[in-house]
Amino acid sequence: MRQRTASTLLVAVLLVAGCGAGPRDDGSTPTPPATPPAATVAPPSTGTANSFNPTDVAWLQLTVAMAERLLPVLDLVPARTTDPAWRRTAAQVAATQRADLDRAHRLLAEAGAPTTNPHEGHDMPGMVTAEQLTALRSASGQPFHRLLAGHLRAHLEQSVRIAAAEQQNGVQPATISLASTVARSGTADLTRLDGLDRARGPQPAAGHPDQTAGEAQAA
Amino acid sequence: MDRAAPLSGNPRRLRVATAIGALLVLLGTYLVSATDRADAAPGDFGTNVIRVAEFPADCTYSHRLPDDPIIFPGLPGASHMHSFFGATVTNANTTLPDLVRSPTSCNPAVDVSSYWVPTLYRDNVAVEPAIATFYYLGEGVRADVVANTQPFPQGLRLVAGNAKATGPNDSIARWSCLHAGQVPPSKDFVNCPSGTMLESYLDFPQCWNGRDLDSADHKSHLAYPVNQACPSTHPVHVPKLRQVLRYPVNGDPSRFRLASGPGYTMHGDFFNAWPVAEMARRVQDCIRPVIKCGHDGRPI
Repeated sequence: MRQRTASTLLVAVLLVAGCGAGPRDDGSTPTPPATPPAATVAPPSTGTANSFNPTDVAWLQLTVAMAERLLPVLDLVPARTTDPAWRRTAAQVAATQRADLDRAHRLLAEAGAPTTNPHEGHDMPGMVTAEQLTALRSASGQPFHRLLAGHLRAHLEQSVRIAAAEQQNGVQPATISLASTVARSGTADLTRLDGLDRARGPQPAAGHPDQTAGEAQAA
Repeated sequence: MDRAAPLSGNPRRLRVATAIGALLVLLGTYLVSATDRADAAPGDFGTNVIRVAEFPADCTYSHRLPDDPIIFPGLPGASHMHSFFGATVTNANTTLPDLVRSPTSCNPAVDVSSYWVPTLYRDNVAVEPAIATFYYLGEGVRADVVANTQPFPQGLRLVAGNAKATGPNDSIARWSCLHAGQVPPSKDFVNCPSGTMLESYLDFPQCWNGRDLDSADHKSHLAYPVNQACPSTHPVHVPKLRQVLRYPVNGDPSRFRLASGPGYTMHGDFFNAWPVAEMARRVQDCIRPVIKCGHDGRPI
């Protein structure tokens, strides 16, 4: 106990001495205000029925960015393959993506968020890169099917993952409802993709462009 | 019943009283000597302080996650891969109270802020900085502006750099080589000689709008100075945060990529969780009087 009191005292003395020890130039330095103005948090962290929290807005923006990245891929399909099953699947997924995109745009407008895509040009998990799109444009038949399957799977898996997070952490009812639609249709599309894969033979795994094996799903 | 024990004969109380007495004597002695010193040499810094407005935090690599609690709050897995420094708990759901309670990888250990950057890969294998230093500086503005520097508000979230840069022209990234100054810095990766380390510098904006802890684009509540001063839209001068990362790699730049893309997409995220008093003391003792401080926030 004695030792502890003594060392506490020593620390106290050092602290007191140290706090004032910095040489000052009080004569020539204007005295700054004691405290900066009170800060406010820009986005509210919780919301009422019609308000959006940061998760809602971030998810809507990401949903827009991902759909806008996938649609040009799906639009290639009729020109690159004559396979009716692939054409049907692509058309159906594209219709779903367009409907989701439309709802996400309207919700972003309601949220008062910028309507421009803040992730434009940025490759994020599940997204088809410009190089991959170029490769798709010059592929056809089975090689095209394989590439398309990999990209679609990466997109859908990521969509379902983040839609589940929005359902858990979002607050705006219509946005959560859209997330549940995206999760449901994405899961159904993945099942449909499995069926196509089984019919066409084994597919290569689709990796995320910025994740190395073993840490991809660390979250 | 619930009264304290009688005072008489309590040796612990006596010791405490003696200690307080001793403390007061020491404090008095200190105040006298400090006053003497100030009177004797106004403007003289007495000790051999280094006239650079600076205090640092050195924060070793903590963990990696495809998360971003500023850009994608509540959405784990939504981001490209990030390498985190400082608070060891940061994930997609992190808020200020989480950071305040977190262990940290920083020296000083009072800095429980979270700092994160896109992960660097060489041949698709993640590489983490051997040295990661976050300098808080008073520079790039007039002396009177430095003298009016305010602490970063606790809970501030801020992104610097451009993750979406499509070329060097829309980037503020700076790559160079540690111990190889002859290699010109570049906005993209540089080819560092063997035996040296690839390093990245990134300066955060230092003029705050005085109001918001975040903004829709996570950038526009702060601005860079104009003509050595803060613009009227962002009048509050805060420390310039300079992120310096040293990666234990060198050689062929074509083997490198960031999780966000080429070298010019380097960016940094800062979520301030310094204890208010610790940050305020360093701004008061190091930045405003232009004194180089160590990790403890005392003059070096």
